Amino acid sequence: MNLRNRQLIPSFSRPASRVMIRKVARYEEDLFALIYESLREFQLPVKDKTILLKPNLVGLDPQGVMNTHPAVIAAARESFLKLGAARVMIGDGPAMDRDTQAILESVRLKEFTGKLGHDFCDLNIDDVERVVLETRATRLKELFLPKTVLGVDFLVSMPKLKTHHWAGVTLSLKNMFGIVPGSCYGWPKNVLHWAGIDRSILDINAAARPDFAIIDGILGMEGNGPIQGSPKSAGVLLFGDDPVAVDATACRVMGLLPEKVEYLGRAGTMLGHVEVSKIQQLGEGIEGVKTPFAVLPEFGKLVAG
Amino acid sequence: MNAPEMPDPLPPAESTEEQRIECLSLLASLQNADGGWGFRAGGQSRVEPTCWAALALFQSSQPKNNDTYRKLQEFLHARQLPDGSWPTGPAGPEMSGGGWVTSLACCALAGSAESDQQLRAGLQWICEDFPRDSSPWQRFIRKLRPESHISSQSDSYRGWGWTPKTSSWVEPTSFALMALRESSREKLLKCASQRRESGISLLYDRMCPGGGWNCGNPRVYGVDGDALVLPTCWALLALRDAPEKPGRALSLAWLQRAFAKIESPGSLAVAEMTLEIYGTQAPVARRSLQDWSAEEIAENGTHVIAWVCMALDAQRSWPGVKQQIIAGAAR
Repeated sequence: MNLRNRQLIPSFSRPASRVMIRKVARYEEDLFALIYESLREFQLPVKDKTILLKPNLVGLDPQGVMNTHPAVIAAARESFLKLGAARVMIGDGPAMDRDTQAILESVRLKEFTGKLGHDFCDLNIDDVERVVLETRATRLKELFLPKTVLGVDFLVSMPKLKTHHWAGVTLSLKNMFGIVPGSCYGWPKNVLHWAGIDRSILDINAAARPDFAIIDGILGMEGNGPIQGSPKSAGVLLFGDDPVAVDATACRVMGLLPEKVEYLGRAGTMLGHVEVSKIQQLGEGIEGVKTPFAVLPEFGKLVAG
Repeated sequence: MNAPEMPDPLPPAESTEEQRIECLSLLASLQNADGGWGFRAGGQSRVEPTCWAALALFQSSQPKNNDTYRKLQEFLHARQLPDGSWPTGPAGPEMSGGGWVTSLACCALAGSAESDQQLRAGLQWICEDFPRDSSPWQRFIRKLRPESHISSQSDSYRGWGWTPKTSSWVEPTSFALMALRESSREKLLKCASQRRESGISLLYDRMCPGGGWNCGNPRVYGVDGDALVLPTCWALLALRDAPEKPGRALSLAWLQRAFAKIESPGSLAVAEMTLEIYGTQAPVARRSLQDWSAEEIAENGTHVIAWVCMALDAQRSWPGVKQQIIAGAAR
């Protein structure tokens, strides 16, 4: 990897990351109060800034199993606004279905956020800018990425807590696949599969590293995720200022070994922290919320102890 | 960043014709100075939305001798790459490879005498663009891998990918088949009919077990994939003059069932056209195209307002003319 990229800082010279776990049993709880209080503890530099929330909107999901729940998205948006953000946008580029409006209707996002107008951005059809990939984790030399993603002041990855049949887990780093525009690369963004999913995750996150991550683990998905797995209630929300550390913590909550997840292990050397000793744990302890998630046999090596 | 704010949406149009005129007018107004269209008002001109605008604004019944058409034609000619393909991304020296929009550009330019040379080059590129997944080498490699049980699809059929040197997928294969079908035989290479046959076989192979298509994963890890409206429509449109197979009727029946639950203007417009082209009765849907104003439809992208224009056009020639409704056609 190329150290010229400002996102790439060797683990030994990166300050400790902060990750917070909060217990939440149901989406009907007062999520705004919980998320606002949690974010406030991080003292984030969001005042007067434009923020993009990047949820995981992967497909038609009336049951709320595969996508980030709209109640979490809406509460996060309200919280950032209350923290002084000038504008909080929501954007995603679904990977398998180009009818983003159909997905939004199926999750009833508008019922939770109100009419978003131009505060929602379909990243699949946004204007794009060429980004040279200095990491070269893959053989891809460049990617077109959405101008909205590259232009905001503060980027928040908001995935669902899920296992993944090709990557092992899909959390805040894998969620960034959704910023790669379908209008350039198709539905699915198959060029990333050919380049290698694990390595593509590294390239994308080095090019547009999230400033913060919020994982919706109130209801997650285990087994054959990210679409056809089984619902799994974990009853948690995770917050953190380092997407690698948040993902590593989420793995531990799921009873998985983060360093064994190929892309996460590599991300831990340059993009953030995987080691427990480098992560300041806030809120609940991991052991108190641990909920083992089933994985496909191919990923048996990820299962802790 | 985002597109400039559009005026407050007008209330939904009262009649189909009124709405069609409003949508056409808005679509025409979105043309950029360089002759192309962006996905949003004032956005970067791109090949895909420009092609959709061309198909919606210039159906065969409409004159093609005005300034709008001349400029869009010049835009498409200028964006064609030296190898005959068109790029999916914006213009620039770094964009050295074309993609699936080549098929769409060939559909948009079909019938234009001024585009004969560009069309020939585009069709040649389509005929010679083979996906990487079904190459003999990849098929050999796959047989050696333990995960070859992941999906049940046949890798002997060769369709088309979204971008070169990737896998075959349902939608780009459907658009390539439509482009090859609509071009006169003398423009096509000798291998075109073989490519068409293989592409048609691939579509049937990738059909979901209950009918319909998703992007091209009918079964993964032993679990049946769910069909989606848009891929199903494009595949059905591509197969409409292919040899009849039970899968096509099954998929048409799936689309009829799915139609009632569609809640977005894009899927609704394309599904309406598909059912009309097959002469199949559309069931009562949860939503109607009249539920949205032209401005609200345009918020979904230029391609969506173009699809709605086409769906509302009783005289349309692309993606196909309306057929007389045949009762129980999908059964």
